Amino acid sequence: MSTALKSRLAAAGSALRERDVDGTTLLLAACFVPMLAFFVVVWVIPIVYALGMSLFASPVRNPEFVGLGNYAELLGNGAFWGFLWNSVVYAVATTGLSLVIGLGLALVINQRIRGGDALRTLMIFPYLLPTLVVIFMWKFILDPNIGILNQFLVDAGLIDKPIAFFSTLEFAMPAVVVTSVWKFASFAFFILLARLQAIDPDLYERARVEGATTWQAFRDITFPHLRGAILIILLVRGIWMFNKFDIIYLSTRGGPLQQTTTLPIRVYQLAFSEVNFGMATALAGVMFFLLAGVAVVYFRAFAPEKEVA
Amino acid sequence: MATSTGRSLVSHDTQKRLQRIAVYLTALLISVFTIIPVYVMVVIAIQSPATTFAGGRVNLLPTQPSLRNFLVLLGSTDTVRYFVNSLVVTLGSTVLSTTIAVAAGYGLTRFDFTGKSLAARAVLFSYMFSPIVLAIPLYVVFSTLGLLNSHFALTLALTAISAPFCIWLMWQYFQTVPIALEESAWVRGASRWRTVRDVVLPVARPGYISAAIFAFAVAWNDFTMARVVMSRDEMYTITVGASLFLDRVSIGWGETMAVSLLISIPPFLIALFLQRYLLQGFSVGGLE
Repeated sequence: MSTALKSRLAAAGSALRERDVDGTTLLLAACFVPMLAFFVVVWVIPIVYALGMSLFASPVRNPEFVGLGNYAELLGNGAFWGFLWNSVVYAVATTGLSLVIGLGLALVINQRIRGGDALRTLMIFPYLLPTLVVIFMWKFILDPNIGILNQFLVDAGLIDKPIAFFSTLEFAMPAVVVTSVWKFASFAFFILLARLQAIDPDLYERARVEGATTWQAFRDITFPHLRGAILIILLVRGIWMFNKFDIIYLSTRGGPLQQTTTLPIRVYQLAFSEVNFGMATALAGVMFFLLAGVAVVYFRAFAPEKEVA
Repeated sequence: MATSTGRSLVSHDTQKRLQRIAVYLTALLISVFTIIPVYVMVVIAIQSPATTFAGGRVNLLPTQPSLRNFLVLLGSTDTVRYFVNSLVVTLGSTVLSTTIAVAAGYGLTRFDFTGKSLAARAVLFSYMFSPIVLAIPLYVVFSTLGLLNSHFALTLALTAISAPFCIWLMWQYFQTVPIALEESAWVRGASRWRTVRDVVLPVARPGYISAAIFAFAVAWNDFTMARVVMSRDEMYTITVGASLFLDRVSIGWGETMAVSLLISIPPFLIALFLQRYLLQGFSVGGLE
């Protein structure tokens, strides 16, 4: 593989030397060596090393080769499927809601409403504000003792006593979902807005002349232009949310009673609370192969590499 | 139900007006939903807890602004040190990530070789990858090499999660830069290197500013990598350090929101002054 690549690069280099410009080989190296070195050092070596580790029991202290034993233990444990289910619920809920809000707002701002530019600038904040800050804001708003949402709900007579949203079984997941949607709806919004603004306005003009209703224009012009972007958002955002660690860890630590423990939270618990690196790397391995499976589907369905290569 | 002839129950004017109202109502709802948390943070940060919680209720109309919370942060926490740590690794990984991306983007668009689509898939796969799933292997390797609790290790880890998108962005960006510019420089006798310095880099500026902003945002926002790589208090970045504030008896919501406000300053400046570069990044996919 690497020798094949080397000869290809050499061929490319010699093709350029024929153009009679100097310094080409060095430039070729300067372009690719940093990227290749970087990928090998921070991606390939750690992942291969960790996959190797996942084949051992207590790999750090006194390693004992167990083959796929860790994987069998992991998948054979009912708790794993519960954590997988939590991940799926969290990913589907946050991705779906983010898409609906992002799409709604993108359509609204694309109408060139008054204050649209200000609203667009406003939407940058949730995206750029560090997750920790977002958690602090929502922990305060949802706090049972001083939180303004509880104050409001009690004053309005909707509830009798304050709810500790992040630590109540039935409210923990919804609270984490709302917090996440607040942060991530802008992602869908900006991508969809970029697509909307790329649609030729003449299309709408022609549809109007032909007497199409707003709904028909949306169905026949807007939606077809957005479909690709929507699918990409569902897929990529969905993958990211499935793998989200920080926002859940910082808001609930996976509690109460593992109610919000998703696979990423579980990986962290296994590695750093239970200090069981055999199981932690095995779970990371499972997540790696899940992701690889989704990536294969993504590459088949969309051929995203066509955009550049 | 919409009919194919476009007739409806209400008149065209009423329909238009209702639609207008719906549009503004949606905009209003989402603005309020977005603004309230930010407003709450700012108000609590700039008034003393005595004012905020006077009378057993949260007072959110700032009447007596005060620097008290910020002074407590400076006086009795390591906030300054955490900020310095954050700045070191954020700037380090931003420079590293952007440099790798500019070089790779230029090379990938200017040299021909087969296997490019494989390279594109590798970049996209790492772009979708999960930080925590990468953090565990990195922890294992850094721990073996004795590199935990170092700025160097965290810089590498942060670069690992920002570089794939930056490479993708620069790859796309360089495709829009016509090679004719470079060719005309070569014809006039400029060397390949000089062409890169005097022609390519100036033209690519909007691209790499955009890449740098994303790399910066990822590193500044990071909690996962810093939590995993740094275990000694004096090496904590601001997000990890501040995440432990609420566990302390001596620190309340006032100081917590004050540190949140400080952490939000760089993102705020980006939103205000570098917005167009950020939007450009979203046109090729955005990040996390």
